[in-house]
Amino acid sequence: MIELLGLEEKTYTLNLGPQHPSTHGVLRVLLEMDGEFITQAEPVIGYGHRGHEHMAENRNYAQFLPNLGRVDYLHALAYNQCYCMAVEKLLGLTVPERGEYIRVITNELNRISSHLLWFGAYLLDLGAFTPIMYCFDDREHILDLLDRITGSRLTYCFYRFGGVPMDIDDDFVAGCRAFAKRLRSRWSDYDNLVTKNVIFINRARDVGLITRDQCVKYGITGPTLRGSGISYDLRKSEPYSAYPEFNFEIPIGTRGDIFDRYLVRLAEMEQSLRIIEQACDKLPNGPIMAEKVPKRIKPAVGEVYQGVETARGEFGMYVVSQGDVKPYRIKLRTPSFANLSLFPELAVDTLVADLVAILGSIDVVIPEIDR
Amino acid sequence: MLKDNLQKALASLGLEKVAEGDYAKTGYHLEVTAEPTQMVDVAQAMLDAGCFLESFTAVDMVEAFDLVYHFASFDELCRTAVHVPLGKKKGMYTISQIYPGADWYEREVFDLFGIHFFNHPNLKRLLLPEDADFHPLLKDFGAGQGND
Amino acid sequence: MEQVAQLMGSAGARMIVGLIGVITLVSVNALFLILVERKVSGHMQRRPGPMEVGPHGVLQSLADALKLMGKELITPEEVDKPIYWLAPIVVFLPVLLSFLVIPFSQTMIIRDMNVGIVLILAFSTLAVLAILMAGWSSNNKYSVFGAIRSVAQNVAYEIPLLITIMSIIIMVGSFKLSDIVAAQSRYWFILVQPLAFILFIICATAETNRAPFDLPEAESELVAGFHTEYSGMRFALFFLAEYTNMFIVSAVATVLFLGGWQGPFLPGVVWFLIKVYAIIFLLMWFRWTFPRVRFDQLVTFAWKILIPLAFVNLLITAFVLKLR
Repeated sequence: MIELLGLEEKTYTLNLGPQHPSTHGVLRVLLEMDGEFITQAEPVIGYGHRGHEHMAENRNYAQFLPNLGRVDYLHALAYNQCYCMAVEKLLGLTVPERGEYIRVITNELNRISSHLLWFGAYLLDLGAFTPIMYCFDDREHILDLLDRITGSRLTYCFYRFGGVPMDIDDDFVAGCRAFAKRLRSRWSDYDNLVTKNVIFINRARDVGLITRDQCVKYGITGPTLRGSGISYDLRKSEPYSAYPEFNFEIPIGTRGDIFDRYLVRLAEMEQSLRIIEQACDKLPNGPIMAEKVPKRIKPAVGEVYQGVETARGEFGMYVVSQGDVKPYRIKLRTPSFANLSLFPELAVDTLVADLVAILGSIDVVIPEIDR
Repeated sequence: MLKDNLQKALASLGLEKVAEGDYAKTGYHLEVTAEPTQMVDVAQAMLDAGCFLESFTAVDMVEAFDLVYHFASFDELCRTAVHVPLGKKKGMYTISQIYPGADWYEREVFDLFGIHFFNHPNLKRLLLPEDADFHPLLKDFGAGQGND
Repeated sequence: MEQVAQLMGSAGARMIVGLIGVITLVSVNALFLILVERKVSGHMQRRPGPMEVGPHGVLQSLADALKLMGKELITPEEVDKPIYWLAPIVVFLPVLLSFLVIPFSQTMIIRDMNVGIVLILAFSTLAVLAILMAGWSSNNKYSVFGAIRSVAQNVAYEIPLLITIMSIIIMVGSFKLSDIVAAQSRYWFILVQPLAFILFIICATAETNRAPFDLPEAESELVAGFHTEYSGMRFALFFLAEYTNMFIVSAVATVLFLGGWQGPFLPGVVWFLIKVYAIIFLLMWFRWTFPRVRFDQLVTFAWKILIPLAFVNLLITAFVLKLR
């Protein structure tokens, strides 16, 4: 009929971003659309490229430490930890037990604050204006706790090669326990407001399905992967730091849709609380820094790959040392980079509303993609 | 054991080096060196064994490039590092037909080092503006160079 | 001739007084509702809302209004100027005109027309035209998107609205709003038509583009939907129209289901306003609780669930009336 009238059906191009309320950072997605359906989605990145890897080659090892907090500002401590562990491997340092425990406690607190922010921001994308306020309220307590020992609220630079610089006191431990109790009392609120909300379920069930094959081909990690039923979490698969000493589970989903990824992140927060409580209970006494940390960090010639599990997935650092005070090459393998590269495949034949929902459920932080 | 299976599969490809890595020092279980022409077969072998592409990058070793691929597995802990030395004016073969995730990694290497990938579906710059005329991670690129 | 003059005199004077009253009410209502919305949303989100301007922030809306009036009227270059200028006016006028037939109390009704309820429904449809004008003339793909969604949404939800209202009409036997109020002197219709009330509230939320049906202005997807390109006073007019629309649909709900201005002790107009604002509070509550419905789900919901339910309600009502 349309051909008879001499009209042709064409697709049109719509630009989502770079300034847009729900692309989490400066992301531009070039959409080809047929009415409300997407035929093609191409992310255009690089608006936040600051050249971290180049900076790494022009600073000595210690000077690069603050950069890590700016790569992913939401879970900065994990990035700190990865770098410290990589350099400690190159130097042959061992972090004392208390230092490892402090690293774990602060890391897990940071993970919870990252997931809480994701939760609030994601529901804001879906149009629910209230959960983000609840989440930020809870998050303030974490930020207060971490502020006391690290001195920062967001872009932490707390760990050092060989341990941590500040010890935690009984007030901090008591604060952690009080926070755990408070957050546990809030789960029912979140459940009633969001998890059991039929509008949310209708938008999240069976939308944005990710298969195991896609995960292998794109290198997907983190809750995005675990929502599809694959139990790969570096804290258990490649244990590091003090994690082997704690009892915790790795929540996984069954179907690989948005709702499973959402449930995985909620469950991970609970598991992080368990880790924090166990660490607070078993906290050993002792030094917090390794004994013989050289004044000039000059690792031997060699290379190392170190991975950690962050809130978004596996963050890996590939450090190449040529025996100099400055690294020869540092590659930051960020989880959002791999996870976002799957997005064009997920976006085909979806509606714009679903596009936003899928993008949010992958939990990308653009600065860590652009570096 | 994944490591043994991988060693067997890779040994049959006639690569320059397939050796066990020192996990405590480097984080690798297997260290492999391959020629650029052999990389596609290596990638296929890794995919058949169920490994995922963890990372891909390049290092400018002044006389040549060193392309470094990291593979790991969801089911069993086994990290494989594949080093591919590449001459300075040479191009590389893409593995994005096997691992679609390599698409962006290769674009990034092209963007930051200028290495060309044959048969890449979409070899455009990824992080820098499309009209930039420099490759910042090369060792002879100093700070303050390049167009604005 | 003098009969015409006489007729003009009383009805004309009524019109003028009514018009002044309505404009005052609309302005005050909008100011009041903006503040209420911000305070209610604040307290639902565990924060106090505006607190700075005036005691507990009561003068906040006034400050906002003054600010909006003082803003520069930016007209983007490529817009379709006549339609762009007209759209805010066209969105506002029908809503104003709907006030003609609302019975605030037994005597406070500007013009008690025989086709009262039909007038309101007809005028509310005009709002869709205004949104389409705004979206199209803005020369912005996001705006067009928002406008298209709004048209589809409004059309889809008007039908169950009409059918639901029909159930009440056949109980009363008249379109006149004062008759409908009078028919509830013994019991309110919400008691005998609970399903109709629920359907009406859902459709009313959709008609006024409020969450969870606020796709036309979905911030996180379309920046600001059909009013992306409007700023300053023109944006204020859209805003004003939305709150006034909320008032109208709540007023209609009060008249149809909650007995209008009837109630003991207090004067009719006070009861009317209490009931209207109670329903407005309900609409606000929805906004701060639910996420947004996806577009195809929204349309499916209207066509496949609400319309059959509305029909069933109508049939049952007709059946029961026939049996009486």
